[in-house]
Amino acid sequence: MKKVIQVILVLLLPQIIVFVVVTNSFNTKHAAPSEPIMVNYITKKHQSTMKTVDHSKFEILQQEFKRPQDLTLACLSCHTERHKEVMVNNHWTWDRKEKLHGRDTISIGKKNILNNFCVGVGSNEKMCTKCHAGYGYNDKSFDFTKAENIDCIVCHDQTGLYEKVKGGMPKPGIDLNKIAQSVGKPEKDNCGSCHYLGGGGNNVKHGDLDSKMNDCTREIDVHMAKEGEDMSCTACHTTQNHKITGKLYALSSEDKNRVTCEQCHTDRPHHDKIIDNHSYRVACQTCHIPVYAKATPTKMIWDWSTAGRLDEDSMPITEKDAEGNVSYNGMKGTFVWDDHVIPEYYWFNGLADHFLITDTIKNIPVQMNSLAGSYKDKGIWAESKSVSKIWPVKVHRGKQPYDLVHKTLLLPKLWSEKKGDSAYWMDYNWANSLTAGMKYLHLPYSGKYGFVETEMYWPLNHQVSPADKALQCVDCHTAKPEGRLSKLNDFYLPGRNHFAMIDNIGLGLLIITLLGVAIHGGIRVVAKKKLNHD
Amino acid sequence: MKVYIYKIFERFWHWTQATSIFLLAITGFEIHGFYSLFGYKQAVIYHDRAAYGFITLIVFAIFWHFTTGEWRQYIPTMKFVKEQIDYYILGIFKGAEHPTNKLVYNKFNPLQRLIYLGLKIMVIPIMVFSGFAYMFFNYPNQTIELSGLGPVAAVHTMGAFFLVVFVIAHIYLTTTGHKPLTSIKAMVTGWEDMDEKEARAMVISEMKHGLQKTKAHLLTAKDQSKFLDEALAETENILGVKKENKFHDVIANSGAGYFKIDRSGHYVEVNKAWSNLYKFKKQEDAFGKHYSLSRSKEAFIELERSFNSVLKGETIEHGLVMRKCQDGSVGYHTITMTPWIADDQIVGVEGFILDIDPEYAAKMEWNVNDQKK
Repeated sequence: MKKVIQVILVLLLPQIIVFVVVTNSFNTKHAAPSEPIMVNYITKKHQSTMKTVDHSKFEILQQEFKRPQDLTLACLSCHTERHKEVMVNNHWTWDRKEKLHGRDTISIGKKNILNNFCVGVGSNEKMCTKCHAGYGYNDKSFDFTKAENIDCIVCHDQTGLYEKVKGGMPKPGIDLNKIAQSVGKPEKDNCGSCHYLGGGGNNVKHGDLDSKMNDCTREIDVHMAKEGEDMSCTACHTTQNHKITGKLYALSSEDKNRVTCEQCHTDRPHHDKIIDNHSYRVACQTCHIPVYAKATPTKMIWDWSTAGRLDEDSMPITEKDAEGNVSYNGMKGTFVWDDHVIPEYYWFNGLADHFLITDTIKNIPVQMNSLAGSYKDKGIWAESKSVSKIWPVKVHRGKQPYDLVHKTLLLPKLWSEKKGDSAYWMDYNWANSLTAGMKYLHLPYSGKYGFVETEMYWPLNHQVSPADKALQCVDCHTAKPEGRLSKLNDFYLPGRNHFAMIDNIGLGLLIITLLGVAIHGGIRVVAKKKLNHD
Repeated sequence: MKVYIYKIFERFWHWTQATSIFLLAITGFEIHGFYSLFGYKQAVIYHDRAAYGFITLIVFAIFWHFTTGEWRQYIPTMKFVKEQIDYYILGIFKGAEHPTNKLVYNKFNPLQRLIYLGLKIMVIPIMVFSGFAYMFFNYPNQTIELSGLGPVAAVHTMGAFFLVVFVIAHIYLTTTGHKPLTSIKAMVTGWEDMDEKEARAMVISEMKHGLQKTKAHLLTAKDQSKFLDEALAETENILGVKKENKFHDVIANSGAGYFKIDRSGHYVEVNKAWSNLYKFKKQEDAFGKHYSLSRSKEAFIELERSFNSVLKGETIEHGLVMRKCQDGSVGYHTITMTPWIADDQIVGVEGFILDIDPEYAAKMEWNVNDQKK
């Protein structure tokens, strides 16, 4: 009996102990709560919905506004100092002082930056300023100090009727009176009317901002989903005195005024130490935005070099791909669209550089905006206050005009109301269009142009998926080529990286040992038989 | 013959370690990307927990090694290494004997010593420290920071391969004992089956060690050793007691049973402790009795052999002996016999017996029963 107990003690107890330790069976609380940690956020059901002001009761808003500027003046007659706030906001200035990564502080903004969509605002203002929070930004002579030109209602209209056209003016015939009386805090569609539609169509630019997010499911965006918290943009992009938090590295370059997941969820929201630790080097977005463009396709490639094909009526030709997306437009060139796109992954520390129109092309593809960061950018090696983390990025690839001689990017004049004004979309003549564009900026142009490949990086932040759709360990910790981080190769990632030599030596040793055992054992068996026989 | 060589903690420790290493290996190589078994996350969680469990075990094992003196098993030696290698390469096929015997503080052969010591002071610490580095220093904002996981992973992987190879060889070499399953059985029950010669060597070394321990205990437990020595010297000086009597006097003051037997085998003197151990009512009752009365037949033959050797001048530390007491009960003791010298003549045998811890005796008895089965 004693013997049996001892054997059990010696053989079974270890198994039981190891099992209990490994499965953590003694810890009955190990089932993690499904809800992430949340701070600094008041849920919808605890928010007050009481309206403190009914603007329809104000006499001054009951007039017929002849000009939209009159409406602005009416707003300012009560909100007497608000224009000062708006007029320093980049929705108005299209410009801000930013320090480029590794370079000087410059004035940069929509006003003067280039992208690889419609390239640039200069000489095309009237078309682009449909999304300017002002009235009459028709060209570079626009007076940024004139408060009456502020467009209050594009952000504050609650009727959903407001629409802007060329030069940022309201669409003719819109009932400004009704709109004025409806004003309130900006809702999704106020922001979305511009931010959803950047690049000339829904979800074209960002890939994670889509008008369908006004009314979407949790699968598309857990935060904005109707059935969930139905959060508005300003729930995260908190705003005081018209200082709006958040920005994107298409235009920005400094690590400041960012909106983060952590501001509500903290940097350790998982009830799981191993996953929480990942947030030291992995942005929340990386796992929680496994795919983007979930409701509407986004533009992945824009090749300007093929533009200009016209039909017999001299009208630009359009072609569509199998999904019905425009794959070719004579005005703009060839497009590639995609939905449910798997992001590309980069190290990013919050600092960015931008390729300015005065910069010389040194590398192809040209990086319109480059995100700084590397594996090594951390701890004592960190170059900024925040370490580099792995970020999911939409990379928009393009092919756009550049100066063959000066090796600079070129700005085409695309838009005009009339033919013969050098606008490409009227005359389909690159030479004239580029000459006009560069002349508008007073920049040199050799007259010889070509098309160069460019890349633009859009860190993803929206369209957060439900937790159960988040990336799993093996999505990255795998040696398979389809592993999410298969191209981010500047560091050792367990499960992905191997030292071939160590593995080969190790496995070799293993095989030799097994063989050795088999041979040695075999000889022993044979020798023993022989000995017995003798 | 079976001999008890692995103590219970040792066996518990061994099997817990074995299970831990097995689990660490299968989860570790999954994390390394060799296959998919538990799922990556689960593998990581299991690996981490098993690691913590293993470290806890190591702490206990270190404590055990130092408190029991078992660490001496791992003192490296190059003696017989060549013989051991020759044995594995050649001798084993010819049915040669193992070149070394298992002894109390030498239960491993010299190769085992070297390999186990290597594991203990190199491989395991390297795995523990690289494992900690893997867990704690891979992210920034920590006290110590690594430039990357590469070197850590390299070391940890190499160690893992080494351990796997070790385990395979280790398991194979268990079959080289007395019989193929001997060693594994020994690691489960603690009792190793040995051939007569090896067992004898082991038992003798065990007895020697036991006696030394008992003696040391006897002398130091009451912290009287110094006093005792001084007292003896003084007594010798004052009374002119002959050196031959020193033994008698030391014993007389201790708990050991003292006896004196003449050449014909009859007790001529026993002390109080002795008569108590044999459960005589009075010391005098034993006088004139032949020593065979308190022995079984087999034990007597063995004792007689020792007795005769002592008469020829040898001092014998005899191993465990079973005694039949006057009331019919049984007890165990060790016995040390030395010639009784009078006028430069061996006139008989004197010696002492030390009662043996009943638990130890029980183990021995269990063994005897076991053999009977």
